[in-house]
This record gives sequence, C-alpha cells and structure tokens, in this order.
Amino acid sequence: MMTIFGIPTQALFGQLLLGLINGAFYAMLSLGLALIFGLLNIVNFSHGALYMMGAFVAWLLLTYLGAGYWLALIIAPLAVAVFGIICERFLLSRLYKLDHLYGLLLTFGLALVIEGLFRQLYGISGMPYAVPKELQGGWNLGFMYLPIYRGWVVVASLVLCLGSWLLIEKTKLGAYLRAATENATLVQAFGINVPMMVTLTYGFGVALAAIAGVLAAPIYSVNPLMGSNLIIVVFAVVVIGGMGSILGAVITGFLLGLVEGLTKVFYPEAASTVIFVVMAIVLLIKPAGLFGKRS
Amino acid sequence: MIMKRLMLSAAALALSAGVAQAQYSDNKVKIGILTDLSGTYSDLAGKGTIVAAQMAIEDFGGKVNGLPIELVSADHQNKADIASSIARKWYDTEGVDAIAELVTTAAAIAVREVAKEKGKIDLNSGAASTPLTNDKCSPTGFHWTYDTYAMAAGTANAVVKSGGKSWFFLTADYAFGHNLQAQTERVVKANGGEVKGSVRHPFPNADFSSFLLQAQSSGAQIIGLANAGADTINAIKQAKEFGITQGGQKLAGLLVFITDVNSLGLETAQGMVLTTGFYWDMDEGTRAFSKRFAERMNGKMPSMVQAGVYSQVTHYLKAAAAAKTDEGIKVADKMRELPIQDFFAKNGKIRADGRMVHDMYLAQVKAPAESKGPWDYYKIMRTIPGDEAFQPLAESTCPLVKK
Amino acid sequence: MGPPVMPEPSILLSVKDLHAHYGESHVLHGMTFDVPKGEVVTLLGRNGVGKTTTMRSIMGIVAKRAGSIRYNGTETVGLPSNRIARLGIAYCPEERGIFSSLSVRENLVLPPVIKPGGLSLEEVYELFPRLLERAGSQGTKLSGGEQQMLAIARILRTGAEMLLLDEPTEGLAPVIVQHIGDIIRQLRQRGFTILLVEQNFHFAATVADRHYVVEHGQVIDMIPNADLAANMDKLKTYLGV
Repeated sequence: MMTIFGIPTQALFGQLLLGLINGAFYAMLSLGLALIFGLLNIVNFSHGALYMMGAFVAWLLLTYLGAGYWLALIIAPLAVAVFGIICERFLLSRLYKLDHLYGLLLTFGLALVIEGLFRQLYGISGMPYAVPKELQGGWNLGFMYLPIYRGWVVVASLVLCLGSWLLIEKTKLGAYLRAATENATLVQAFGINVPMMVTLTYGFGVALAAIAGVLAAPIYSVNPLMGSNLIIVVFAVVVIGGMGSILGAVITGFLLGLVEGLTKVFYPEAASTVIFVVMAIVLLIKPAGLFGKRS
Repeated sequence: MIMKRLMLSAAALALSAGVAQAQYSDNKVKIGILTDLSGTYSDLAGKGTIVAAQMAIEDFGGKVNGLPIELVSADHQNKADIASSIARKWYDTEGVDAIAELVTTAAAIAVREVAKEKGKIDLNSGAASTPLTNDKCSPTGFHWTYDTYAMAAGTANAVVKSGGKSWFFLTADYAFGHNLQAQTERVVKANGGEVKGSVRHPFPNADFSSFLLQAQSSGAQIIGLANAGADTINAIKQAKEFGITQGGQKLAGLLVFITDVNSLGLETAQGMVLTTGFYWDMDEGTRAFSKRFAERMNGKMPSMVQAGVYSQVTHYLKAAAAAKTDEGIKVADKMRELPIQDFFAKNGKIRADGRMVHDMYLAQVKAPAESKGPWDYYKIMRTIPGDEAFQPLAESTCPLVKK
Repeated sequence: MGPPVMPEPSILLSVKDLHAHYGESHVLHGMTFDVPKGEVVTLLGRNGVGKTTTMRSIMGIVAKRAGSIRYNGTETVGLPSNRIARLGIAYCPEERGIFSSLSVRENLVLPPVIKPGGLSLEEVYELFPRLLERAGSQGTKLSGGEQQMLAIARILRTGAEMLLLDEPTEGLAPVIVQHIGDIIRQLRQRGFTILLVEQNFHFAATVADRHYVVEHGQVIDMIPNADLAANMDKLKTYLGV
C-alpha cells in the first residue's frame, strides 16, 4: 500500500474529503461574514449565535410543529433573517458612522444575550436531531465510507457559495452591492435605497448562517454554545481570506478545512490551533489577507 | 404561675447551656454551592445542584440544633482562579462552613487547596478526577458521587468481559481526558485486553469524523470516548452517521451523564453501556426524591451529580448536628464516623482519603421502543459494589492513608 | 398697478437661505440662488467657500441642512438622497467616484434609470467612444480623463433632467477639458439643466449661461455670461486671481 509520511494514501484521501466537508461550513459562515463586513462595516460577532439559532429553529419546528428537515431548511433561514433584520434596523443601523469597535461590541453582546436566552430556555447539553430519512446511509468509496448526508452538505454549500458569488459578481443587484461596499453615499445619491439594501444584505448573510446551522443540526450537538466555538475559527478564515472579500472567504473556507483535516491526521493536538498559525503567517506576509485589497 | 416561671427559666437555662456546649460560628451553619451555572456543565450540575441542596436543607428541617442553615451559591465559570477567589471570600469573610458540588477538576482542586489551608470542609460531587482522593486529599475534603476510576472500572470491566478486548481511545486533550484514558487503559489491560491506539482531540471539538476514521482503521473492537459533554455527544452522533456501529465496532462512553443521553436521543444512544452513580428510576426512594426534584426543575430528572449534592449536604448537616459544631475538622471526623444511608447511597462510608464509597451501577441505554417517556432511559444491568467500583485504599497515594 | 413683470424663465431648482453643517463647522450661511430650466449655471468661488457642500446639500448627502431647496416645486430638504435622485437630479462628484470593483460597463449602467428621456447606451457610447473600447476593463484602470468621461457618461442614461457636475475639468489636460466643454454644450442642446462647480472661469465662460459667485457660504453676486467680459475685473477680485 502506498503511503505518504507513513499515512496510507487512501486514508489521506478520506481525511482530505472530511476536511473539505468541514470547510463547507467555514465557507458558508465566512461568506456571510464577509458580505456583512463589506457593506455594513460591522464585524458580526453574533454570527455564531445566529448559526446556533438556525439549528435550534430546526429543532423547535420538529419538536413543536412536526415540521421536518426540508421545511426547516427553508423556514429557519427566513425566521433567523427576520430576527437579524430587526436587530439591524433597531440596533446596528445606529453604529455605521462609528468605529468598527462599536459594532463588534454590540454584536458580541448580542451573541451573549442570544446564547444566554437559549441556555436559560433549553439548557446547555443540547437537543437531539436526526439525519433526515432521505439522506441516511452512505456510500463506500473504497478509501472511506462517506455518509450521504456529508455529501449533501458539501453539495449544498458549494451551490450556495457559487450562487452567492454569481449573484454578487454577475448581476445588477450584485453590482449595486459591490459599488455600495466601496462608496455607499454615492450609490444612494444615484437613487438606490442603500439603507434597505444594507438591511437585506444583513438578512441574507444571517440567513446563510442559519442554513449552515440547519445543515449542522443532524451532525453536531445542537446546543446553545455550538456557534461560539466555531465562530472564532470562521473569523480567522475571513481574516486569512481578506476582510470583505467574498471569493476569498469561500476559497479560504474550503482550503482551511483541508489544512485542518490534514493536521488531524499528522498532529491532532494542533488541529484547533493550526488555523491561527496559518493566520499569523498570512498576516505577516500579506497583511490584507490572501484575497484582500490593500486599502 | 410560679410553676410556669420556673419551667421557663429552666428551659432558658437548658437552652443557654446547649448553646454554650455547641459551637457554631455566627450562630448558623452556612453552606455554599459553587458550581458551573452557565457553561458546559450547567445542565448536569448547575442550578439543579442548588435545588438539591435546598431540598436537603428543607428535609433536614432547616435548622441544626436550633440554629438556622443558610445556603449561598455562585458560578465559578469552570475557572480555577474564580473558584479559589470565591472560596477564599466565602470561608474568610462570609462565614461559609462548607462548599459543595464543585464540578470541573481544575476548579475542584483550586478550592480543595483553599479549604485544606483553612481547615474548612469541601464536598465534591461533580468533579471527576482521582487526584482529589490521592495527592490532593485533605482531612476536610470529600469526593462523593463518582470519579474517573469508578467510571473506567465499571464500563471497561463490563465491556472487556463481554468480549471487547481491543480498544482505541478518542481522548479530550486536557488533564481530565488523559486521566480518564489512563484509568480505563489500566482496567482494559488488567482484564487481558489490548490498546490499539489513541488520538488526542482538541477540547472542545465539533467534528470527530476524522478521528473516528482513524479509530475505524485501527480495527479495534471498542472505541473508548475519554471525553465529556458536547464532545461525547458529537462523537456518538457522528459515529452513527459514519456507520461505525454498523461496521461492528462499539462505542464506550466513559463519562456519560443522563443529560447527555437526553441530548442524543434514544434513537442515537440506544444500546450504549455506561456507568452511573445514580439513576432516578431504581426504587421508591430514588423515585420519590426525583419526582420532587423534577417538580422544581421543569420536569427534568436529577443527574447523579445533583442527587449526590443532596446526599452530601444531608450528611454534612447530620455530622454538624452530631458534632455540635461547624468547625471543619470536627465535622469531618464525624462525617467519617457516621454511615451514609439515604436514597442515593445505601451503606455508604467515607474512607481516610475522603472517598465516599457507595454502590455504582452499570446501565444500558434503552431502545426507543422500550422507553415509556421522557427520562425513561436506562436499564440497570448490574450493581457494582462500592469496594469494587472505587480505587482500593491500598493504592491511594493520599498521605492520610496509613499504610 | 405694480411694475411690469418680466417673463421669467421657469425655475427648475430654487435654493433659498440654505445652511449646512459638517459636524460642528457651519459651512453654508444662507445660500440663495435659482437654476432656470435648460440653462448651464456655474458656482464660482475660491477653494473652501462651500461650492461642493452646496452640491452635496442639494443631493441630500449632507445630513445637517436647513433652509429650502425646491426642485420642480418639490421641497427636498429632509428627503434622503435616493429620493432626491429619483426626482430627476443626477450627481457627478468631484472625486469622480468610479468603482474599482466594477468594470467600465458595470460602472456605466450602475445608476438606475429613473424616468424615460435619458440617453440610450448607444448614444452614450457615441458621445464617449473610448468607453466602448474599454468596456471590459476595471473602472479604476482608466486614465483620469477617461474616468471623468465615465463619471459624466453614467448619469446621462438615467432620465434625470438636472445634472450636478462638480469640477469636471480639475487636473485634466487642455484637450480633454475642451472635449468636456463640447459635451456640456451638446447636453445643453439636448435640454439638460446643468449646475456646474468650477474654479476655472475661463472654461466656465465657454459653457455657461450665468455664474453665481460664492464666498463664505453665500452667493454674493450673479453675473450673466453675456456680461462676463464687462465684469472681469470684479470677478478677478472675487476669485483672487
């Protein structure tokens, strides 16, 4: 059997694939963060809490209304987006003219409040959520057993990321968004309702987080803190990719999933730190991030 | 009239004599619950332990030799420095006589050091690590509900004896995880099993697929989960997803609480073998307590940590009453002297190293069809006698143990 | 009977007693002037007298403003800038505001069409053939002159009748200045009303119908273009040249 550094190649393929799957979550979350940072100038620290809300809404729908996974995949992002939009209208919109720090503090506080509320209501140890019937089981790829559900997560994430990228890069709406990210005042002076666009963008970014949350519900523990651990990694992804860079966020998300996957094979103890090491190196060499523009 | 006055003064005399005889600081007995009220362990310990302590005080009558019992509580946020500074404040300036619960080994050891230095009582229920009754033991410190030794011995013994000879460990990369793995390995090897490998995962960790794959390719029959809480839940959930269990390998959760099973759901958790110090649905006594507890906790049944707090607080109060003082070392001696007899511990006894020895239970998680409703989760397979469950006193490195 | 009333050209934009603040600093101190429909009107004045602020106030970009700005009879003080734009005013800022993340074509079609009557894309390309050649390039890869063309070109499509051009000739080579002059005259021909901020009054004289002289945030004089030669000395004093 062929080996690379003592690891059979087949096992390595498996680990790379798993890394890619984790990267799918990073990509979805960092995409939303990058979008929000670009247009709102806000480092959305509540992103992890909103991801958690997505998963919890799925659980609530199932438990209290009997609504299953597929319905949750539609309703949860909408519900969380509505919540996000309310937060943006009544809280965040007051901070746009101030330093980044205020937005960061507000959203961080918001995350603590949301998590605290769910913890108060549902406890800390989490809720059960099963893989939907249609996606149970798996494929034997020869080098590994791939659960169908994981395959679905990667496909769903790729479709979402690609769709978002096309929307932003290839449509009129996307042109408004890119232009407003550069100079919102002027775009508004052209007759475009920028405040509304900002609100909807926040809603969209937040909905992406909620979709990631629903996708995560069947494989990760659905508990009030599920987002707070993830969000730190996702911030590192956004910083490595370049703050505000959409493509950077997506590509870096998948890449870092791979890097993390490899680390789990060769030196598992470092798996949670490797991303921050990469971040430090990237910031030393390219302070604006891999895909960021120097401003 | 004269008669009545005489009686009154006699009573007053008796009372004052009683007070003179019994020495209670501040004329009350004060107990502090120091626990995780907001973090990872707040379901298995947390608010439920405060409720359990309240129930213990109420059931005791609210008074020790006529003096009131007071209860305070605080959140140590699973941080050793916060835990020790609260403990210092409580013991030094707020007249707390005993601190109970103390989940998380780091916090427990920090408080143990403060308590030992001041000759005050600490009653451990939630923390798992064995150093509390070995190097870190104290004349006034007690370990009540369970420890890693008992969990490992219970589960690993049962698993190895039923044929699970080869093991692979997924271990949380911090002191508790290492300790739990070491304890389990010892039992596995002692029973003629072998350890095929292990992987240390970051703590906390959401995605276990990579580690599970490594465990799978090791070919081990048993994958031992030397972790806790959300890590254990994630690992079990994903093991099912990756077809590990269908592939013939079995998972052994080495520290699984009933709150974890509740979180996993029976569909995912069914069939799992685990060790516990308490289960609510064992007999009249456990059911009666748990029903009262659940009424105060939105229908949640007590975890072993919560039930353990009831037992330890009750025993402390009994000892404080019998010793006629709240002075740490005297109450501690009395606690060691008195047997523990309640719904939690049948014929429990406290050893020189501070270990409260009581029966543990080997349980198996029910299949969804076997469960009659919420919290009906366990089948008790076997009672593990206390002396078998816990580390033999002869092996203890506690300096208090006379060899 | 009062004095005989001269037939007034219809006023498209009327600014009265306009005050504007940037933070603590009070920039406009009661600007008052009218822009008749179909005319090219300039605001002349030294640096920092409030010409750009006037433009930005009309556009609604300066948040703190008081007084009255009526466009086609509608009061716009208090409206957000997107609503003002939708009334039919288009803005070409001094810094041009070309978007680097958009291609030349995307920059060109970015401002939404708000009413019929604007130039078609073909007509725009006819006026600025260079933009067609560079349609696929990144907006900010254009030369300064091309960027200025783009900044003007993109507001011609929208159907706005009134254009606010803030120093369109600043820092450009004479041949390009001349080209921009041609364009402004053509636009006037087509019926656009244009408010132009200029420091270069020689250029202004070649395109405008009337000039307002601004000092310390107020209009201090109005000179019809026909009378410019006669008032040259006065104007030079105003502008300090």
